[in-house]
Amino acid sequence: MERSHQVATRESSSRDDAEKAQGANRLVIQVENATKIFQTPDQGRMIALERITLNVPYGEFVTVVGPSGCGKSTLLKLIAGLTPLSGGRILYQGSEVRGLNTKVGYVPQESKLFPWLTLEENVAFGLDSKRYSKQQREHQLRHFINLAGLTGFEKYYPAQLSGGMGKRASIIRALAYEPPVILMDEPFGPLDAQTRMVLQDELLKIWEQQRQTIIFVTHDLVEAVALADRVVVITHRPGRVKDVIQVPMQRPRNIFEIHRQEGFDEAYGRLWNIFRNELNIRNNSNG
Amino acid sequence: MAKEMSPERPRVGASSEDVAISETSSFFWKRSLWVTLLRTVIVAGFLLLWEIASGRWIEPFLISSPSRIFSSMMNSFQSGDLLQHTWVTFQEIAIGFPLGAISGIALGYWFGRSQLLAEIFEPIIMALNGIPRTALAPLFIVWLGIGIWSKVGVVFLLTFFLNFFNTYAGMRQMDQEYIDLARLMGASRWKLTFRVILPAISPYVFTGIRTSIPFSVIGAIVGEFIAATEGVGFFIRLSAGIFKTADVFVGIIVLMLMVIAMDKVADLIEKRVLQWQTHTEHVRIQG
Ligand SMILES: Nc1ncnc2c1ncn2[C@@H]1O[C@H](COP(=O)(O)OP(=O)(O)OP(=O)(O)O)[C@@H](O)[C@H]1O
Ligand SMILES: [Mg+2]
Repeated sequence: MERSHQVATRESSSRDDAEKAQGANRLVIQVENATKIFQTPDQGRMIALERITLNVPYGEFVTVVGPSGCGKSTLLKLIAGLTPLSGGRILYQGSEVRGLNTKVGYVPQESKLFPWLTLEENVAFGLDSKRYSKQQREHQLRHFINLAGLTGFEKYYPAQLSGGMGKRASIIRALAYEPPVILMDEPFGPLDAQTRMVLQDELLKIWEQQRQTIIFVTHDLVEAVALADRVVVITHRPGRVKDVIQVPMQRPRNIFEIHRQEGFDEAYGRLWNIFRNELNIRNNSNG
Repeated sequence: MAKEMSPERPRVGASSEDVAISETSSFFWKRSLWVTLLRTVIVAGFLLLWEIASGRWIEPFLISSPSRIFSSMMNSFQSGDLLQHTWVTFQEIAIGFPLGAISGIALGYWFGRSQLLAEIFEPIIMALNGIPRTALAPLFIVWLGIGIWSKVGVVFLLTFFLNFFNTYAGMRQMDQEYIDLARLMGASRWKLTFRVILPAISPYVFTGIRTSIPFSVIGAIVGEFIAATEGVGFFIRLSAGIFKTADVFVGIIVLMLMVIAMDKVADLIEKRVLQWQTHTEHVRIQG
């Protein structure tokens, strides 16, 4: 926690433009004191996120964990520009994001494939004809469908796919047009443990080839550690960044034996400590 | 919602489904034969009863009889009279219906997109909707004369509102996340409209179109009842006035066929456009 906060404060208090520009070059997403206030049904104010600061360098895999309702989805929506900030600012490649940021890809909590398009058409949706020639489109399409193990299902409609297949399709739809940053909102949420692991493995394999920046929301601590370079912990009401944990595990990782990998226990232990403290506090205040 | 949670790849290859289909297809074939047979028996029984009742238990000028209706129909078509009447009514619908449907759909779409427009006009449209629309038919005669244009007007009116309300309802329930995703993926205005919004609301649009088909015919007939010199409605009123009950039924049959034909065409188009929806099976409530 100390380290990341120090970095953030040093950067924001620095008057040195050159240093700032350099920092901005390295970082693709900068969330600075982002605050989001919602109106409650009884006309009150609810602080969903308070002064969130988070810097994400190129190619990093960041996971975000926190209890249900702490504002994880809201944070992703803010970064994508889908909902306006109540305070603070968000920078993309050093310049402030106003409105929708079409440089980020988004994998929503439910698959949200367009039900009226075939799997192929869904995956190709972001492959704009201005940026990709016909051959490139074909190539991208086949490459990603193959990576996700969906070859042979190109002409299927989403209703004809299983839940896991839909998830994979939803993920490669965001990957295929190669946005520099991809936001994933509990993409493996409702799946069973086996399917989850297979998909995590596939995601890491794809990411190792593409090395896009990924911000990945989850409520599963094992998943958070297994995938990430860094885990961001967010607290409940108001949502604040509680801590940031480095995950010193090597890559490529073996998802299926992640417990045995060096560094897992240490990172997981630290993460669990944070959560245990949270729970203790809550128990004490209750009792 | 209830997504299939089946683990990884058991669904690969359609072979298992093929087997299931070939096993049960003979059963389905027999079943559909039975359904057709029963239906034919019921209809034939009804016609027979009608034929017997007419002249024995009930005065023929009240209910005519199938044989009389058949010979009347032959006569009317041979003299060319009925063809001319049918042609006139067909024209009224062929002009009024598409105009009403297209403008209703367009306005419903437009209202759905523009919050301001909807806020301004919604109460007005609601108030107008409170008017029993066929009550406006005499006004159309006053404005547009007793030719086909007054009937086109009534057809338009009835078609327009049904299509407008259904399309607007579709826009209101449209999932924001689909729009957000499409925009994040850099969809142009055109693409957003034709690849996302219109397909998403198309089930509603088709509901509007199909419910308005019989109403468009009602519109034409009401107009012709009030003041006309031609058309199936005129033919029915004329025949009823001189107690040619068989001819009344002939007119009714022509109208029925018209509605069935239009519905069939709409059904074919709908099946093509909405093939992504899997509503092939009848809802099962028990077992
Ligand atoms: N559009 C909105 N209007 C009002 N309040 C909202 C809105 N969206 C979210 N909230 C509130 O903000 C808080 C955070 O919501 P958010 O969806 O970001 O939680 P989350 O961390 O993603 O939870 P989960 O893990 O259950 O998905 C919740 O208390 C929620 O009620
Ligand atoms: Mg969420």
